[in-house]
Amino acid sequence: MLRVDRRLLNNVDWPLLGAAFAIIMLGILCLSSVGLGRGGSGLAWRQIMWVGVGVVALLGVVTFDYRSLVRAAPAFYLLGLSLLVTVFVLGRTVSGARRWIHVGPLTFQPSELFKLIFILALAWALTWRRASQQMPRGTIGGIVLLVAIPFVLVVRQPDLGTALVLLPVLGAVLVGVGVRLRILGALAAAGVALMPLAWLVLKPYQRDRLLVYLDPFRDPLGTAYNVIQAKIAIGSGQLLGKGISGATQSRLAFLPERHTDFIFAVFAEMWGFVGCLVLIVAYGVLVLRGFEIAVGTREARGRIIALGVTALFAAQTLINLGMVTGLLPVVGIPLPLMSYGGSSMVVSFMALGLLLSVRMRQFQ
Amino acid sequence: MTGESTAGREAWRRRVLSLAAAVGVAFVGLVGQLWYLQVLEGVKLQEMSEKNRIRVRPVAAPRGILFDRNGLALVDNRPAFTLSLIPRELEDRDTVLARLSVLLKIPMRELEESLERVPTDSFRPVRVRRGLTLEEVTKIEERKLELPGVVVEVEPQRVYPTSTFAAHLLGYVREVSDEQMKQGRYRRGDMIGQSGLERMLDEYLRGRDGGERVEVDALGRPVQVMRREEPDPGAQVITTVDRRIQEAAERAMTGRSGAVIVMDPRNGDILAMTSSPAFALDRLTGNLDRDEWLKVVKDPLTPLMNRALQSQYAPGSVFKVIVAAAGLQEGSLTPMDRTYCNGEFHLGQWTFKDWKEGGHGHVDTRSAIMQSCNIFFYQSGLKVGPAAIAHYAQAFGLGAPSGIDLGGEKPGLVPFLDGRRRADGRKWQAGDTVNMSIGQGQLLVTPMQVARMMSAVANGGILWRPRLVQRVERVDGTLAYSSSSKMTGRVDLSPVVWAFLRHALSGVVNEGGTGAAARIPGVEVAGKTGTAQSVAKSDSTKGQDHAWFASFAPVQDAEVVVVVFVERGGKGGQVAAPIARQIYQAIFLEKVAMVSLGGDG
Repeated sequence: MLRVDRRLLNNVDWPLLGAAFAIIMLGILCLSSVGLGRGGSGLAWRQIMWVGVGVVALLGVVTFDYRSLVRAAPAFYLLGLSLLVTVFVLGRTVSGARRWIHVGPLTFQPSELFKLIFILALAWALTWRRASQQMPRGTIGGIVLLVAIPFVLVVRQPDLGTALVLLPVLGAVLVGVGVRLRILGALAAAGVALMPLAWLVLKPYQRDRLLVYLDPFRDPLGTAYNVIQAKIAIGSGQLLGKGISGATQSRLAFLPERHTDFIFAVFAEMWGFVGCLVLIVAYGVLVLRGFEIAVGTREARGRIIALGVTALFAAQTLINLGMVTGLLPVVGIPLPLMSYGGSSMVVSFMALGLLLSVRMRQFQ
Repeated sequence: MTGESTAGREAWRRRVLSLAAAVGVAFVGLVGQLWYLQVLEGVKLQEMSEKNRIRVRPVAAPRGILFDRNGLALVDNRPAFTLSLIPRELEDRDTVLARLSVLLKIPMRELEESLERVPTDSFRPVRVRRGLTLEEVTKIEERKLELPGVVVEVEPQRVYPTSTFAAHLLGYVREVSDEQMKQGRYRRGDMIGQSGLERMLDEYLRGRDGGERVEVDALGRPVQVMRREEPDPGAQVITTVDRRIQEAAERAMTGRSGAVIVMDPRNGDILAMTSSPAFALDRLTGNLDRDEWLKVVKDPLTPLMNRALQSQYAPGSVFKVIVAAAGLQEGSLTPMDRTYCNGEFHLGQWTFKDWKEGGHGHVDTRSAIMQSCNIFFYQSGLKVGPAAIAHYAQAFGLGAPSGIDLGGEKPGLVPFLDGRRRADGRKWQAGDTVNMSIGQGQLLVTPMQVARMMSAVANGGILWRPRLVQRVERVDGTLAYSSSSKMTGRVDLSPVVWAFLRHALSGVVNEGGTGAAARIPGVEVAGKTGTAQSVAKSDSTKGQDHAWFASFAPVQDAEVVVVVFVERGGKGGQVAAPIARQIYQAIFLEKVAMVSLGGDG
C-alpha cells in the first residue's frame, strides 16, 4: 500500500498546493510581525513546526486510498465521538471552554479532527447502499443523526464556530448528491425551528456575541471591542497597507486574539486592500481547484470527499473573514492555513491530503 | 463506478458548479466589504488608528436604592472618586507606582498586588483605591504628567444615614473578592452586595455597567468622549421596613448587645430589625486593610453576626406562653387551676427554685403568667407533658427557620421531638420537662422565631413568613420582583384560649405584672418577659442572664409585635421591657401625644 504508483505522482494538483503554501507563507509573515517587540516571535517558529507536522500528515493521508478510509469511516466516527466526550472528562479548560486534550506536552483539539471524520462518515453513509440511487428516507434521517450528535457535543464544549462549520459542509454535500430541494428546504426549516432550542444550549457569552453582532454598542467593553478594533485595523490599512512596522493596531495589542481568529485583521492592516485581494485570490484558487477536483471525479465516495473538503475550506474561510470584517457575528473559527494553532494547521493539511488523494486517483 | 450515465455526470457537474458560483458570490461580497472598509472608510479609520488612542472605559451603574415602606430612602448613592491604573499606559511602571505610593501613602506592595492579576497590556482600568478625598484627587491631578496611566474615575458609592444604620438588614457592599471571581459572574472591580439585602438582591440592585469610548492623547489624557453607553441603574427595592421605627429601635438599643424585631402581626411585615452591636457599613465598603478586617471579624462582640436571626438562646419565661397554650387547649390546665407558691419545688432529690425568693403565694393560671411564677409552671409542665409542649412549640414555629428572605438563619432547637429527646443523647428525665416548662434546658430560639410566635398569639394563630421586601422596581417602573404575605403555618387553639392568653399577657404589662415597665398610657401593650440563664449557675452573677421581652399592641386587633432581646442584660422586666416601651412610644407617637395632651387638659 505504501508503494506509490508513478501515475499517482503525475496527478498531483500543483496549483492547489501552490495556493495553500502561498497562504501559509503569508500567515507566518503575519505571525512573526505580531510577535515583534513583545518577545514572542516564537509563534512563527512554532507555526513552521506545525506546518512540518502537517506535511507529514498530508503525505500519510495521500498514501492511503481514500476508499479504504471511507470503509473505516464508522470506526473513525465512533472514535471521534468518544474523543469529543473525553474532552468533557479530561479536557483542559482554556478561557472557559473545554476543547483541548493533553497529549504529553501538547494539546489537541478533537473537534478540529472531527470535521474530517464527519466528511468521511458522510461519504460512507451516502454510498453504502449504492444500488438505490434514490435517496431513501432512512438515509436522510440517519444523516441528520450523524450531524446532530457531534453538533450538540461540540456546541457544549463550547465551540460554536466548529459546530457551525459542519452545517454548510452537510448542506453542500446534500446539494451535490442531488437531494431534492424540497427535502433540503424541509431540513433547513427544521433547523430554523430548532433555533430557539439552540439558544438554550448556548452559554451566556455565546448569546452575548450574537446579540453584540446585532448591536455592537451593546457591550462596548467586551465582545464588541474585538469587532470595533478589527474594523479599525482593517480599514486603516487602506489601499496599500502600512507595512510591518506601521501596523500599530496589531502591534500595540489593540487587537485581541490577533494571532488566532483575528489574524486577517493584522494582515489587512499591513498589506491593505491590494494585499487582501492577493490573499483572497489565493483562497479562491484553493477553493476553485477543490470544486474542479469534485467535478472531475467519477467515483461517488471521492466526489463527496472532494466536495465536502472544499465546502469545509470555503465555509471556514468565509465565516472567519466575514466575522473579522464585521459581516457576521463573532463565533470563533480560525482562518484555515493562516491562524496560529497546531490542531487547525495539521487538520487543514490532512484535508488537503484528502483532496489530493481523490484527485490522484481520479483516473484509476 | 464507471457505469454512470453522461446525464448523471452532467447533473453532478451542474450542481457542483452552482455551489462554486455561490461561494464565488460570497467572496465577491467579502471583497466589497473590504473595499468599503479600506478604501471608502479607510481615511476615517486610518485616523482613528493614527491617534491609536481610543479607550473603552466602564461607567459604573449606580446601585439600586432601598426604600422603607413610606418611600424614605434607607441608603443612597453619591459620586465618589476612585483611583485606577491602566496597565498598558504605565510606561515606567516602577517609577509611577513609587510616586503614587509616596503621594497617597499607599503601600507599594498593595499597588503591585492589584496589578499582578491583570495582563500588562490591558487597557481596562484596575481599581486600586475607592473613596479618595478631594485633597487626594487634587494631588493626583496636579502631578498628572508625572503619572501616566493613573486615572481618577468617578463612581457612584453608597451613602448611609449613619454608618451603622440597619447594618445587618441592609448589608455591606464591597469589591468582588478573588473567591467570588471564580463564580464567573462578575468582572474584576465590580462592587457587589456581601451581606443582608444587598447580597440577597444583588442581581437586581447591581444594574448594568455602561461604557465610554474615549479618545485620549499621547499621554493618556482624555480628549473627547466619542460614544457613551449610559449604564442601566440598578432596580429600586421597596422594603417593609419603617425607617422611623428602625431608628427608634436602634436608639433604644444603644450600648446594648442584642436584637430587636418589630413585626406587623397582620401580615408578617418586618417593620424594624436591628442587631447590636452593629458594624460600620461604610468602613467595610471602603479600603479596609487586612488588620482592620480582622479586627471586625475577631471582635468578641461579633458585630457581623445578625443576632435577630443567627444567634440562638433559651427563651426563658417567654416560653410559658406556649406551655399555657398547650395545657389550656389540651385540657390539662384550666384558667381556674391554683397553686401555692412558696418559692421551691421538689422533684425527687432535686429542688427547683422560683426566681423570687419566698415565692408568689397563691397564684392561678393568669396571675402565674403575670408574675411569671416558675413553681406554677413546673407543676403545669409535668401535667401537660413534654410531648404536648414540644408539639405546640413546633406549631408556634420554633425549631425551624422562619423563612425570612435573608440568608444565614438559624433553626433553633425544640427538644423531645422525634430523634432528639436530648441533644446529648441522655435519657429524658422529669427534670428536663421541668426545665423546659420555664423555657430553659435545651430549648433554643432566635429572636425572629419569638416574634413570629408572638404574632400568632396576637393575631389568633397565623404564622406568617416574615417579609422584608415588598417589591423591586426597575427604573422604568416595571416590576422586577414582588412578594406577598405568605402564611406558612397555623396554630389551632379555641378562641377562648386565645382570649385568655391575650388577657393574661395584657396583665403582665398593665396590671402590675413583670412587664410593667413597658406600660404606656394610651396604648394597651401585652407581653411576656423572660430571663434566660446563659451559663452554669455557679457563674451566674448579676448581669449574666439574657433579657427577653416579647410583646404586641394594642391587645385587641394588634398592629405591631415588638420583641426585644438583650444579651447578658439582666432581667427581662427590668432591661428589655423599658426598651420595648421606648419603641412603642415611637410607633404610637400620635396616640401617646394625644393622651398626654388630654392629661394636661
